[in-house]
Amino acid sequence: MEILFIITTLFIVAVINLITKRKSIIEVASIIASLIYLVLSVAIALQVSSSGLYAPWSWQFFAIDDLGAIIVLVLGLVGFTTTIYSVQYLRQEMYKNIIGFKRMKQYFVLLNIFFAAMFLAITSSNPIFAWISIEATTLSTAFLISFYNKPSAVEGAWKYLIINSVGLLLGFFGTLLFFTSIDLSSAGLINWQLLTANATHLDPLLAKIAFVFVLIGYGTKVGLVPMHTWKPDAYSKAPAPIGALLSSALLPIAFVIILRYKAITDIVVGPLFSQRLFITFGLLSIVVAALIMFNAKNYKRLLAYSSIENAGVMVLGFAFGGLGVFAAVLHLIYHSCVKVVLFLSSGNLLLKYNSAKIFNIKGALKIIPVTSVLFIIGFLIVTGIPPFGMFMTKLYVLSSGMKEYPIVSLIALFFLALVFVSFLKYITTMFFGDKPDNIEKGENNIWLLIPQIFLVVVIIILSFYLPPFLHTLINNVVLQY
Amino acid sequence: MNLLTLQFLSQILLLSIVFLLIMKKNFSAVSAYSLQSLVVVIILLNSFFETKDMWMLLVILVMLIVKVILAPVFFIRLIRKYALAFSVSTYLSTPITLIIITILVFIAHSQKLIPLTRIVPDHQVLLSLALSSLFLSLFLIVNRKGALSQIIGILSFENSIVVFAVFANLEQSAALQLGIVFDIFIWIMIASVFISMLYKHFGTLNVSSMKNLKD
Repeated sequence: MEILFIITTLFIVAVINLITKRKSIIEVASIIASLIYLVLSVAIALQVSSSGLYAPWSWQFFAIDDLGAIIVLVLGLVGFTTTIYSVQYLRQEMYKNIIGFKRMKQYFVLLNIFFAAMFLAITSSNPIFAWISIEATTLSTAFLISFYNKPSAVEGAWKYLIINSVGLLLGFFGTLLFFTSIDLSSAGLINWQLLTANATHLDPLLAKIAFVFVLIGYGTKVGLVPMHTWKPDAYSKAPAPIGALLSSALLPIAFVIILRYKAITDIVVGPLFSQRLFITFGLLSIVVAALIMFNAKNYKRLLAYSSIENAGVMVLGFAFGGLGVFAAVLHLIYHSCVKVVLFLSSGNLLLKYNSAKIFNIKGALKIIPVTSVLFIIGFLIVTGIPPFGMFMTKLYVLSSGMKEYPIVSLIALFFLALVFVSFLKYITTMFFGDKPDNIEKGENNIWLLIPQIFLVVVIIILSFYLPPFLHTLINNVVLQY
Repeated sequence: MNLLTLQFLSQILLLSIVFLLIMKKNFSAVSAYSLQSLVVVIILLNSFFETKDMWMLLVILVMLIVKVILAPVFFIRLIRKYALAFSVSTYLSTPITLIIITILVFIAHSQKLIPLTRIVPDHQVLLSLALSSLFLSLFLIVNRKGALSQIIGILSFENSIVVFAVFANLEQSAALQLGIVFDIFIWIMIASVFISMLYKHFGTLNVSSMKNLKD
């Protein structure tokens, strides 16, 4: 029931936003929808935690497992905070004549469709429907990336559209190959459970080929190196809240879909095959992202590469298994929250300085102190500084790989340290030193700060205390993967 | 429909992609795409005659409207609107392109890919041809500099996957296929809008001229 209610609400709000001519209605409707989404996502997570798999109508259309419930919860949280921020952010842009009412309206229509598509992708029990939903996320966000209608934004959106479409078609081909284990003429609608139950009928070589296609396909959406090329362009050109959602919501969803196929592949060919692929892509993502971050010139692109690096950490966690999986899931939650903090704070910087270039930002701590503190806290969290939770998750991921893959863990450790050094260099440049005279001191609006403050509080709480239901969900994920 | 007819249709699909790889005019490219989509529709019709599933007929009808009629109409309107008679060149020269086409077709027919082409042993030749089309479509996307050619490359890729799925007996339920066609339709519309946006901002559809974004 909750699932249908969420989907219906999001689509109704998208339609309301499309037909109404009043700004306030669009804003209120979008906030209400995201609040409903948040409340019901908590209800779903609690239900899955207490009763196990949530599969209404006997797996016909929807099924939410433990990992799915965690993602639904993350979606609810980041969806609500980014919507609150979006309202004020777009008001500021309208005030500055950067956008008009039509653009604002378009933004909230697409935003709600994007939420609905992400929700359908993670809750769908059918792998093909999940694929259609992921494709729908590409289509709904393409115009959000080209939102400002500048040559660079159109270029970024074009790359995003083409690279992701090709990637998803590869993923679709891989998905179809997994279906060879089932007699489709009599099976009816295929779901994840049926696919897993029939995994032993899959030809091992075909399973390997299929998994490679799926990993490359959905890995493009995750942004794993070398399929990451669209990511810095799209993240840097999209409005700040959209960058936040791409990094904190869409990335984990695509990753979870890969994990579902990994579980099936592991049944057929054993865990070593997917483990080696995960280690290769994970490590490559950390190394390449760290090297590029060292010479970053644009702070939004820096955040995009940080997402690639953190995706690499999550992938390594699932490759190493056991404690690594526990840490990777926690890392995913922390990363989603902190990336929203960083992207939204970068939006404040952009509003103030009108530039995304690192070297154009000076003395931000004196000009927008709260935003600066939030960005610096975000930096400390995302680079894994104690006592924040990401320190422990990175430590656990690397230590879980130390026994079997010490070289991989050490290389990853070195490049994670490099990421910290790079970030620190930019933080010093941007936030400290003398403030420029031509920029007015003061924050833009309190509502451009509250979402980040709320998420920082959530991260700090989760760094020291895991609610029992979340603990149960994560433990179940560890058992499953 | 016997195997030979299906083989003939698969060869038309493959040749249409080879043509797309070497053609010089956008109008020809759109015509080739329309033809290959018609081939896909005919192959699906054959599948319908075997299953007699009326929902499948609806899917075929929608596919005919979207891929054979609407998509080419969209593209031809764009070609006329922006006077894009000639397509943007390829990254590789025609002789090298032809050599790579040969290699890709050879790989698709090689023993290494037997697990893919023997999914249905009786359809090995058909699956090899579908796989060749798939590889060539991917090559088409990466080798052509024109945005319109890239779009047609992606749609060819999707057509090749559909044909592969039919020959491998991996067809999905009609409802899901409708969902996929609807997705493709929206994709075509969005891609067409982006073509217009690219032309307005860059004055060309040559994607190699897009150099605004760098690290």
